[in-house]
Amino acid sequence: MISSEDAKRKPVPTPDADSAALWRGLRDGVLLLQHCGDCHNVQYYQQGMCRECGSENLSHRAASGRGRVHSFSVVHRAPGPAFKADTPYAVILVDLEEGPRMISSYTGGRPEEVTFDMNVVLVCEPIDDDTTLPRFRRA
Amino acid sequence: MSDSSLRGKAAIIGIGMSPVGKVPGRSPLWLAANAAKKALVDAGLEKHDVDGVLSCHAFASPFHRFSVAFSEYFGIQPTFSNTLQVSGATASTMFNIGAAAIHGGLAKVVLVVASDSLMTGLTPDLALRSLTESRDQQYEMPFGIPVANTFAMTAHRHMKEFGTTAEQMAEVAVIQRRHAARTPGAQQTAPITIDDVLNSGWVTTPYHKLDCSLISDGGAAFILTSAEHARELGAAKPIYILGGGECYTHEHIFLMPSLTTTGAVDSSRRAYAMAGYGPKDMHVAGVYDCFTGTVIMMLEDLGFCPKGDGGRFVAGGQMTYGGQIPSNTHGGLLSFAHPGMPGSLFHFHEVIAQLRGQCGERQVPGAEIGLVHSLGAGFATNATTILGTENSL
Repeated sequence: MISSEDAKRKPVPTPDADSAALWRGLRDGVLLLQHCGDCHNVQYYQQGMCRECGSENLSHRAASGRGRVHSFSVVHRAPGPAFKADTPYAVILVDLEEGPRMISSYTGGRPEEVTFDMNVVLVCEPIDDDTTLPRFRRA
Repeated sequence: MSDSSLRGKAAIIGIGMSPVGKVPGRSPLWLAANAAKKALVDAGLEKHDVDGVLSCHAFASPFHRFSVAFSEYFGIQPTFSNTLQVSGATASTMFNIGAAAIHGGLAKVVLVVASDSLMTGLTPDLALRSLTESRDQQYEMPFGIPVANTFAMTAHRHMKEFGTTAEQMAEVAVIQRRHAARTPGAQQTAPITIDDVLNSGWVTTPYHKLDCSLISDGGAAFILTSAEHARELGAAKPIYILGGGECYTHEHIFLMPSLTTTGAVDSSRRAYAMAGYGPKDMHVAGVYDCFTGTVIMMLEDLGFCPKGDGGRFVAGGQMTYGGQIPSNTHGGLLSFAHPGMPGSLFHFHEVIAQLRGQCGERQVPGAEIGLVHSLGAGFATNATTILGTENSL
């Protein structure tokens, strides 16, 4: 069971075998997408094989960082004490230029600015020495 | 209809629920056992008649195998048991799987039982946090995503695509509060208006506090057996499982195929096909209502109105008495009770009571066929069950 102490800390992603390259890339300032060499599917969620055709012939390429807001929600009541000081903040679903959709949060402006279909660009924001989060600002 | 179809093979012969809302000093196991005792009394059976137990995890309980821990607590040793986990959809799957287990000979009498004490067993922040734990630790949680957020983004997109309004969503909460006012034991019964909802403060846009379901303690239990055994026992008013269907479209919200059309389309289509009935044949419904906009989208995906018309359908009075499909007549997760994963079991309790004609002043006249739709995890999991009386077979 979870403790009160756990709830005060922001969750930090722990990379696994499938995702180590993604988080390393973000530390270097790029968002790596997986491109399937067989069916040309592009995926953001990192897997050991292509979600469409099952091929393991995948290569990483840096995303352009450009995308559009598909939907969003401005959080006023945080999910626990760790995020309380950040409210209000906008959680956004971004359609990347290369095709995949991802979830992130808006940075570099007020959450009220976010609109449907707004153009956004990637910002790699370090949250500690080990971890950089992919966030987005207005293009 | 194939011979393997579950249609009419299993019947619900007992129902029970614990006190709901704020129930301090009672563990999830007590709440479950309290409900189970009542369901057994209702069925006219003893606990040793139960040979199967299906349940789901309780956040406020330390047991990973809740169905197993429950059986020990209740003093039974079943020969079929499982603790299921497909979030909010679990309730419906317990009925579908229970019916399949009975039909397949794995069990004769299945106790479906679940509970949680999210209100008094956890602090409010921990209750919320425990729900957000179900999002992906790498790809979703670092951005501070409350459980309401994934549902909020679907509702927001629905507003953008179909012109659904905040007032129409608020209407769902207003109607269900009116329903709860006539339900003994409901957690929230004070009347509310659309303005009350719109002025209740933001949780995560477009949802206000009163667009969101409650946090509660409570448990419910059901006795399932074969149609044949129900007849042997002389069960007073068995309610049959006519059809079941499920659909799992994604795990991550960003991989949901469409934010506005969900797996409920396929889960309900499968359930209707098995039952041999369509949406127009339903007399009463339990529609998962973790948020107001969820109900609007579900009324569309379950086939009660065309895609995009859900807001107008609700505002036109179609989900309450006198409308096309009286839904959540007990008040639902928004007003009756919402102890997390077991929440949808109260929709089952209500629809079964409606089909038995036991709902007093909130009875839907002539209700013979009903539907319950459960869902969870930001629409990742969807499960539908269609229930009917002897006349519907």
